[in-house]
Amino acid sequence: MKNEYLPYPATIEEIRPETFDTKTYKVKFKDQKIADSFDYKQGQFAEISVLGVGEAPISITSSPSRKGFLEFTIRATGKVTDEIHKLKVGDVLHIRGPYGNAFPFDALKGKNLYFIAGGIGLAPLRSLINLVMDNRSDFKHIKILYGAKTPEDMCFTQELEEWKKIDDTEVWLTVDKPCDGWGCSVGVVTELWKETNIHPDNAVGILCGPPIMIKFVTMELSKSGFKDNDIVMTLERYMKCGIGKCGHCNVGEKFICVDGPVFTSEQVKKFPEKEHVL
Amino acid sequence: MAKTINKNQINSLLKEVEKEYKAFAPIKGPEGDVLFKLLCDGEVALGSEDVVISPKDIFFPQWETMFKFKDGQIEETCESAPVFLFGIRPCDLKGLLFADEFFKRDIEDKYYLSKIEGRFIVTIGCIKPPRKDACFCTSTDSGPFAKDGYDLQLVDVGESYLIEVGSKKGEEFIAKHAKFFTDSDADTAKTKEDAAKAVELKVDFKKALDLMADDKFTPQEIYERIGERCLYCGGCLYTCPTCTCFNVFDNATDGKGERVRNWDGCILSGYTREASGHNPRTEKWIRAARRYEHKLKHDCKVTEKSGCTGCGRCLSSCPVNIGMSKFIQEITEKRRTM
Repeated sequence: MKNEYLPYPATIEEIRPETFDTKTYKVKFKDQKIADSFDYKQGQFAEISVLGVGEAPISITSSPSRKGFLEFTIRATGKVTDEIHKLKVGDVLHIRGPYGNAFPFDALKGKNLYFIAGGIGLAPLRSLINLVMDNRSDFKHIKILYGAKTPEDMCFTQELEEWKKIDDTEVWLTVDKPCDGWGCSVGVVTELWKETNIHPDNAVGILCGPPIMIKFVTMELSKSGFKDNDIVMTLERYMKCGIGKCGHCNVGEKFICVDGPVFTSEQVKKFPEKEHVL
Repeated sequence: MAKTINKNQINSLLKEVEKEYKAFAPIKGPEGDVLFKLLCDGEVALGSEDVVISPKDIFFPQWETMFKFKDGQIEETCESAPVFLFGIRPCDLKGLLFADEFFKRDIEDKYYLSKIEGRFIVTIGCIKPPRKDACFCTSTDSGPFAKDGYDLQLVDVGESYLIEVGSKKGEEFIAKHAKFFTDSDADTAKTKEDAAKAVELKVDFKKALDLMADDKFTPQEIYERIGERCLYCGGCLYTCPTCTCFNVFDNATDGKGERVRNWDGCILSGYTREASGHNPRTEKWIRAARRYEHKLKHDCKVTEKSGCTGCGRCLSSCPVNIGMSKFIQEITEKRRTM
């Protein structure tokens, strides 16, 4: 029987700063056999350990279409992630996974896609965005709507520029507090509804961000005519084991770690109301 | 023909068992309390003593090393010796079988499953309810005698125990240790009937499950009262045979140490607190609700079995008199019990 709790060593090959508290780590398993068997899908997550400090669930931000490495975008916000931020290229993390379900992919083909993210919420969406970009002709029009607190809090700024240049792809940015020279919108991400057409025809909205953002974007998409089934989101809860055993991420009879983290608005509306998921 | 074993033969039989198994039984400690421990830890107590903690901790210890590490190297620590469980109660059998199924579901939990491999279970029916006014196993259909799931079951018939055989393994055990057993034609019907009558606390469990199954039913006022009254000591979840939530952390200095899991529970405020500080269950009543809804509603949705075995430990261990049976009385009989 496989011991699913055992993590495997992976070397940090590259560290890219995203914001003052967020970095992207490109890692590679030391053992090629483990690397080959780590067959992940867009939207899944992994459990990352710093031995002696602990373990945290982190979404995989790299696209499964780009092989040979894994990328994780990590904000220093707790014991484990603070420690990860102290590591350098060449240092070793311990990783197990991949866990959870995935964003739809085949079901999105032939559709207009709206990616809507807040802050570090762009990280899990990026896995799907790059997978879509690597199969661009299978999809219709794409809009990426991205909001952050300030321009300095925006992740993947260089990639946002690159996505903009791709045919039939729009990138719309907004911040709560602009700085001098900020040329884009100001306000929460739903403010972008005023700037650009959000049309439900043959379209799917894919969301990730803080709970309050998910709540208001879902409401706006519904108002714009999106059906509950065409609103897809990835949710977050405190997790420990990642495999549906420790109990922490329970919502009703579901575990976010195995039944999710990706849910449609239709599924989320069936969660017990008092869980404040939406 | 059925077999019996004289009560004075039990210790000799268990001596034989110890050669093959890691054998656990209710053991009376020097302070008079009874816990599931290794046979070598003391005297076996098979009367109507209250075993305060369910035997789940034999397979799901309160504190368990998952692996050790030193200088970045991981060393797996996963034990597996066949366990002989002697004298567990029918409610606890139901709890163990429930936990077995949970740890097998989806991705398997090696730590738990390696410990139940080759497990042999001897249940003992309850002639008198061990937790007197708190036991309600006749309402949950889990006692005072088990119907299945055991290898052997003991029925107290005075000087001896009548043996009920529940599995092929049980049959083989009797044949192997034939010298301890004698034929018997004792009738246990009356014993079992009297035992069931001795469980005085009755609740309308089916009605409670039906009420809870309805998603629109949220007895918020009751949850709020429980939430206010609860001391958040965790006693109910630690003693519960089907509570299996755990925390995971590293216990280490200078890169050398162990990854550990230990019992955790949904009524505790840190259970859902995220690294950002966001906590979806800050309100006490929501945490209180989680425990009752998990056992009486969500478990039934997933497994068609309730996560309550009627053992009554949540009530008997509670310093402020909260318990599953009281909650059920409140929702089914619409009267204040807490």
